[in-house]
Amino acid sequence: MNSKHISCAIVAVFIAILIQVTLSLKNNRLKAQQEARAAEQQESDALDHVTKERLQLSDLKRQSADLIEFLRIWQSQFDLINTAQSAEVNFSMLVRNSGLVNLAQSFRTEAVKGNPSILSELHAELVFEDDYIQLLNWLGKVENKLPTMRVRDVHISKGSRPGDIRLETSLEQPLIAK
Amino acid sequence: MQITKPQIDDFKTDRKDIMHPLPVILRLVPLLFYCSIGVTLILGSIFFIQSRIAEANKNAHIEQTASLTSQTEETLKERTALEAKIKKANDVQAWVSSSRPIQPLLVDIARSIGPKSSILDLRLERVPESPAQIKLALRLATDSTKQLDLTLESINRMNFRTFSPVQALGHGELDYRATLVRQELREKAETP
Repeated sequence: MNSKHISCAIVAVFIAILIQVTLSLKNNRLKAQQEARAAEQQESDALDHVTKERLQLSDLKRQSADLIEFLRIWQSQFDLINTAQSAEVNFSMLVRNSGLVNLAQSFRTEAVKGNPSILSELHAELVFEDDYIQLLNWLGKVENKLPTMRVRDVHISKGSRPGDIRLETSLEQPLIAK
Repeated sequence: MQITKPQIDDFKTDRKDIMHPLPVILRLVPLLFYCSIGVTLILGSIFFIQSRIAEANKNAHIEQTASLTSQTEETLKERTALEAKIKKANDVQAWVSSSRPIQPLLVDIARSIGPKSSILDLRLERVPESPAQIKLALRLATDSTKQLDLTLESINRMNFRTFSPVQALGHGELDYRATLVRQELREKAETP
């Protein structure tokens, strides 16, 4: 092997290096293109996901529109009396202003079972003895005036005077969780 | 000092023979080298530009994906809030359905009592597990069940159906117990 052969070998090594560089650039391009394709796929998946979620949300909005409107209407009623004190004062005022013979009244706060949105209620126990028409009218007025109030039970029996009745009732005023 | 010519010749080594020329195939190696430089420059530039474009595309897709993910999270938050509202609305509806006025029923029962009968005792009590249902306990001073039939008709007109009725008649008193269930509870949305 003479110097010409050595020169040829060196030049061949350079050629190999150039080929290697070209291949390396090609590989980099392929890698970058694969990553771009993967990112495009991820974007496509994310777009599908957001589209699906938006569709479900709009479906849910459409299906629950009546219910949400119902809540909007009633929420203000529940917000009118939302503390035990205000409920108790309200009941006391209604009893006092009725002019009926009130034999007993007691109030206590109770937890509401099975209704997570209404955590507690003010429970009022009232006993009256008066004219039956006036008593029933009063009960009707209270139910109309307090649409969220619930009559848990009502017991009517004969009163001590003719024409009178004894009315024992338990009323529940819900105290809605905000 | 001057050196004489024969002495100078003495410094020279003997000249070797000229090397053999390279074979034809190896003569292509330098040519191949120049070509490979050119090809490397051209292809390298193309690959480099394509890599840059792909990189830019990747970054754009990543940004768009992040934006879409953020939108998905917002939609999920909105959905969670709506679901909570629906839950609350259902709870409120359950309460409202179970708090329908009871007084009209009392009045109707009282009005149904004829002149020959009277109410001794009347109790309406909501069933704790299902407050929309009402337990009725009625004690009448009457000699026949005719009065009870009239009272039950009146209750039916109020859209209540009676379940598990129990009645006992004796000594001029009629004892009647039943569970009342209101019909068409969800016919239309109630308003305060």
